[in-house]
Amino acid sequence: MLAEQVKAGKLPPVEQRLPEKPTVLQAAEVGKYGGNWQRAYKGPGDRWGPTKLMEERVVKWSQKPGGPLELVPGYISSYSVSADSREFTFTLLKGLKWSDGEPVTTEDVRFWYEDVFMNKDLLASIDQTLAPGGKPMQLEIVDEQTFKVKFEEPYVYFLEILAKDSTGDPSLDRPSFLFPKHYLKQFNNKYASEDELTAAALKFGVEKWTDLWGSKGAATAWWQNPDLPVITAWKIEKPAPGDVVTMVRNPYYYAVDQAGNQLPYIDRISHKLFSDQEAFNLMIVQGQIDMQMRYVEPQDFTFYKENEAKGGYKVHRWTQAQTWSLVPNLNVKDEVLRGLFETSDFREALSVAIDRETVNELIFSGLAEARQASPVSGSPNFDPELETHWAEYDPDKANALLDGVGLDKRDDEGFRLRPDGKRLSIVVEIEHSNGPKTMEVVAANYKDIGVELLPRIIDRTQWDADRDNNEFQMQWYPFDRLSVVAADPRIMMGNDSYAHQYYIWYTTKGASGIEPPADHPIRTLFADWDKAAKAADRKEADAALNDLIKTFVTQGWVIGVVGELPAISVVKDNFKNFPDDLIEDDITRGIGLGATQQMWMAQ
Amino acid sequence: MLKYIVARSMWAIPTLIFVSFISFVIIQLPPGDFVTAYAAQLRNSGDFISETEEALMRARYGLNDPLLVQYWRWISNIVLHGDFGRSLEWNAAVGDLIWERLGLTLLISTLSMVFTWLIAIPVGVYSATRQYSVFDYVFTVFGFLGKGIPDFLLALVLMWMTYIWLNLDVGGLVSPQFEGQPWDLPKIVNMLSHIWIPLLVLATGGAAGLIRVMRANMLDELRKPYVETAYAQGFGERTVVWRYPVRIALNPFISTVGWALPALFSGDVITAVVLNLPTTGPLLLQALKMQDMYLAGSFILILSVFTVIGTLLSDILLALSDPRIRFS
Repeated sequence: MLAEQVKAGKLPPVEQRLPEKPTVLQAAEVGKYGGNWQRAYKGPGDRWGPTKLMEERVVKWSQKPGGPLELVPGYISSYSVSADSREFTFTLLKGLKWSDGEPVTTEDVRFWYEDVFMNKDLLASIDQTLAPGGKPMQLEIVDEQTFKVKFEEPYVYFLEILAKDSTGDPSLDRPSFLFPKHYLKQFNNKYASEDELTAAALKFGVEKWTDLWGSKGAATAWWQNPDLPVITAWKIEKPAPGDVVTMVRNPYYYAVDQAGNQLPYIDRISHKLFSDQEAFNLMIVQGQIDMQMRYVEPQDFTFYKENEAKGGYKVHRWTQAQTWSLVPNLNVKDEVLRGLFETSDFREALSVAIDRETVNELIFSGLAEARQASPVSGSPNFDPELETHWAEYDPDKANALLDGVGLDKRDDEGFRLRPDGKRLSIVVEIEHSNGPKTMEVVAANYKDIGVELLPRIIDRTQWDADRDNNEFQMQWYPFDRLSVVAADPRIMMGNDSYAHQYYIWYTTKGASGIEPPADHPIRTLFADWDKAAKAADRKEADAALNDLIKTFVTQGWVIGVVGELPAISVVKDNFKNFPDDLIEDDITRGIGLGATQQMWMAQ
Repeated sequence: MLKYIVARSMWAIPTLIFVSFISFVIIQLPPGDFVTAYAAQLRNSGDFISETEEALMRARYGLNDPLLVQYWRWISNIVLHGDFGRSLEWNAAVGDLIWERLGLTLLISTLSMVFTWLIAIPVGVYSATRQYSVFDYVFTVFGFLGKGIPDFLLALVLMWMTYIWLNLDVGGLVSPQFEGQPWDLPKIVNMLSHIWIPLLVLATGGAAGLIRVMRANMLDELRKPYVETAYAQGFGERTVVWRYPVRIALNPFISTVGWALPALFSGDVITAVVLNLPTTGPLLLQALKMQDMYLAGSFILILSVFTVIGTLLSDILLALSDPRIRFS
């Protein structure tokens, strides 16, 4: 595709488009150019599907099949961290270019920092991950290629956060420090006049010029604006609302394979709109999907396998960094229940009463692993002992534990009575498709120990609202971010999870939320994170973080049931260089860990 | 007659205002708003947006304004500028989203209505004139089956069978290689190889009910003295049946023809979702789920306009087809 454009004089030859020393991406095998990669997507809300295929960061996660995760440089030639972890130096690739051929320099970094990131009109407040202690990161431009980012306190885990979240707001595209100044300055109030801004807003059909910016901004969202220069391997060609959203090769992409061929190999990616899971499954078995991981569901595993030959594809597997878990609400409004949830023996009883193997066989086709909600294998935080903590099926022990905490009276149906004389019932909210079947098994297990489990199927919005308003007793939940915990320890600390109110108390420094009792072990957990976040060296930080993880798992606040499920993908027989056995997690950027740039299609 | 039409049209205006307001309110009734739903969707796919970001989005979309203000902003733009507002989820003009899909929706719905009538009327007439015959029973059984099987299930089964036995790619209206291409002859031919599934599914459901209605009406009519008289005059059966009783028995069809208009627009939502059709139905469903209120509200408003116009149309048609009906 590009060779023709060069011949026609529309593009300079490849050596002028690449950086002086392009990043070398070791492809599984050297591929051939061309092809249209067909995928399916669920509409604009599903834009992470396309995004994760090609996100760029200063540093990215990389993994060899089954091996540990490690950080590698992205569009930079080098990076270094000062001894006290307060200063991070990055050097851009020399000769790096935007997709329109303009050079990428630290001027673009300065634009991002001064005119966008610190621009109060565009960004009223800065996320705390980029402003630890409320003080935003500082930028120092060294020369055309080099810049430094500084913090007042040591920030050991900054690189992990960059690899996951990058520099966050205002664009959810998260391009890490870079905004194409030559294009975007026309939409910025530091460079353009009020009239020009109004005209630009009108042109994009939005009300105010600030609407051009931000997570869904008409000008800055890569998946909406084909004119926006990018550094990703592909760029948008036909945006939504079209039935087929297409992306096309970026002729200026900065990486090459081991033979020196510019990446990516694939010319075009098409995303076809679908709304129903069964419709998507039919597309797969009819061979209309060349490669996809998103929405390929483990519960349909058998169906995909049966039709492999007919559809001309293979089912591949990675490992999901999540554990399907029961999350009791430590802040529940029912005081008796709260007292029980706060009792360690009670939580242990609820955990050992679950027959995880049966759940795995019946609901997850035996593909999962009976385990606790703890870091997955392959994670730097993996610990085999934590994985099995309280995960052994032992109903007798559970019964003994419950008798021990004074729940020894039962009603005529055999259910235990709470101290206030009411039946011991727990309402568990379920929202995911595997929930109803799983809860049948767990409810039967709990009946054996005299606990009544009442599953309630609710809508996702209601589910979130119940958690925000502290209105739930227990939820069935895929507890994730169990790969690199340092990159996002929030849910382990109770956020959106087992102790949302305590977490709010912690982050607001006591201004709102519920204060945990003075001797509550969650205080140790918070203290551990404070220590890890401020530690000056990595060893110290990792030690504190591992303490945090250990406290979280051994306390058993979240009752993990099955995890290490396969993240399955369908890959057509002619689709090459798809790696196996990696970790699928938001932290590792989903399919992005597989380096889609090096994948190719045999014609 | 003209006076009647004008009076009816005047009444339509307050009705539409009322309906548009109610629909706008109803969309906002579930807990949360578009941003909550959007955040939930992100979480579902493993992402977070921060609370600051949520607050910023709310402010940008004006979701913190009182309901009346939001309603007024929306409706005044429609009435004054013909602008249906922007879909929050798609970040695109509602008008663009709807009109783009309307053509195909109209095509499928019209064809399926014609198809339904083509099945239902002859079968209904046959069943009535040959009451308790073998074929009457056969049609009755099929009719009840057609009514009893949910459309979406039939759609799934048909899709599966055509895939297994005919190895056709089903789902959607055209094969992948035609997606996004301009309409030319090969594409139209390709579409015709897909369109029969939704037509069959929609027609079986609809026809079953109509067959019963047609049969019952015909039976009533056939027993009336004017039919006897006609026979006595020496007319053949075909002439007698098709000239008078059928015309009368068609009354309920005509009086519900107006409802076909909104049905054309909303289509059979679930069937369209299952079959992955690029029609308006799945868009409406998604808009409601996401509380994308301007998109959903516009849908319902247009639907109501169609219903009002359709009912008016029905009344006029009925007056024309049945001389016994007069407006007073």
